[in-house]
Amino acid sequence: MNAIELSHIYKSFGDFSIQDLCLTVPSGTICGLVGENGAGKSTTIRLLMGALRPDSGNASVLGVDVSSREFLQIKEDVGVVLDEAYFPESLNAIQVGKIMAVTYRRWDQAAYERYLNRFDLPEKRQFKDFSRGMRMKLAIAVALSHQPKLLVLDEATAGLDPIVRDEVLDIFNEFTREEDHSILISSHILSDLEKLCDYIAFLHQGKLLFCEEKDRLLEEYGILMDSAEQVDCLLPEAVVAREASGYGGVRALVRRDLAPAGFQLEKPTVEDIILFLVKGAKTR
Amino acid sequence: MKALMMKDTYVIWKQMKFFLVFIVVFASIPSSFNNIFAIVYAAMLPYSALAYDERSKWDQLAAMMPYTTRDLVLSKYVFGWLCIAAASVVSQGIQLVLSIFWKDAQFSLTFSLLAVCCGICIMSITLPLMFRFGVEKGRLTMFLIIFLVCGSAGAISSIAESAGRGTFFAFQEPALIAMLATAVVLSIVSVPLSMKFYSQRQV
Repeated sequence: MNAIELSHIYKSFGDFSIQDLCLTVPSGTICGLVGENGAGKSTTIRLLMGALRPDSGNASVLGVDVSSREFLQIKEDVGVVLDEAYFPESLNAIQVGKIMAVTYRRWDQAAYERYLNRFDLPEKRQFKDFSRGMRMKLAIAVALSHQPKLLVLDEATAGLDPIVRDEVLDIFNEFTREEDHSILISSHILSDLEKLCDYIAFLHQGKLLFCEEKDRLLEEYGILMDSAEQVDCLLPEAVVAREASGYGGVRALVRRDLAPAGFQLEKPTVEDIILFLVKGAKTR
Repeated sequence: MKALMMKDTYVIWKQMKFFLVFIVVFASIPSSFNNIFAIVYAAMLPYSALAYDERSKWDQLAAMMPYTTRDLVLSKYVFGWLCIAAASVVSQGIQLVLSIFWKDAQFSLTFSLLAVCCGICIMSITLPLMFRFGVEKGRLTMFLIIFLVCGSAGAISSIAESAGRGTFFAFQEPALIAMLATAVVLSIVSVPLSMKFYSQRQV
């Protein structure tokens, strides 16, 4: 079963639109949603949670159509962390726990308290006095404490210091040890996604440019660092994008299957691929 | 819905302690108008809850949780009705005690019920506007309506008192029946209207 299925979704806001978005996240996997600011990542998350109605197309989560009545039950199985933790400012962590205990039928108070301790969150301090990192940690604690099968994380690691971020990524990895647990995570920190994800989906100006297995993506492309003349020798379709590097050289993202065998290609990172793809899309 | 009302209670309690004391003080002044004011003020607490929701963008988070539109809207009404009921009970209790010890104090259950109906009517008219236009724009309409309602209540009260040749509000009972019917009808129309407006909002 697929944890998430978006099929030919269109949503227009006038000056911005999501166009023909098809995205599938198989159950038991972690998918990273990448894109520039305003590419449509948060909109995609709101569409798949039924908070926005698409102009056309279908969305289903954990096998249930998000526009159906049954989706309300499915929300019990989905832990969501948005780009900000939108809890009322005057609440403290204990009160948030009490409210969530009545909201979710499978709320695990013991797990919630464990996360509060693990994240070193004060129980009685008002939410308005939390730092951004603490706010995000509280949102993550809530999302994990009602025994979800799917985590939907929108910039959930933003604002966390590197040590806590690493710990949170470990928690997300632990979460997917259960074979039916899945994660959709959007982030600008591409190194996090490279560490965590099985799939990478790339949104650009409301369009999904690709959704591929991370390992396949890394095998598909290589980085060529050579002179401009050497890069020009390649087939035009082999070069995704190029940039000037030091001493008159060129650094280019190249499709391995279209590059001659003699060329020395370095292994790219996900960040390299994404940055070159954005440049390539802009120059086209 | 219980979770949402719990959240509103926590938020209002923290933020509005001072104003809750204000309601008790107004309820304690031996005057029918102050009695009305305390209850009408209690009817405005759902707007404060909505304003805090807007400020924290709670709606965006709530849209991700297993709450229905009905829960999100009706919780504000029920919260308001409970606030009105609580203010009415407190105000009646205090007025009753005052009337025992102070002969000038007037205890009128009918007048208090009239105030409850008035509070429900104000809430029923203004909450759909808040759900449609947001708290800021909705609040302007609310003040206009409160001004009109309080002004009319004062005028009707004066006319009725003079028509009753000095007796305290001679037409209380017919007015109460009319207000009760109005409150029920407005509530029946208001809740589905608010739900419609809320579901139209693209949070």
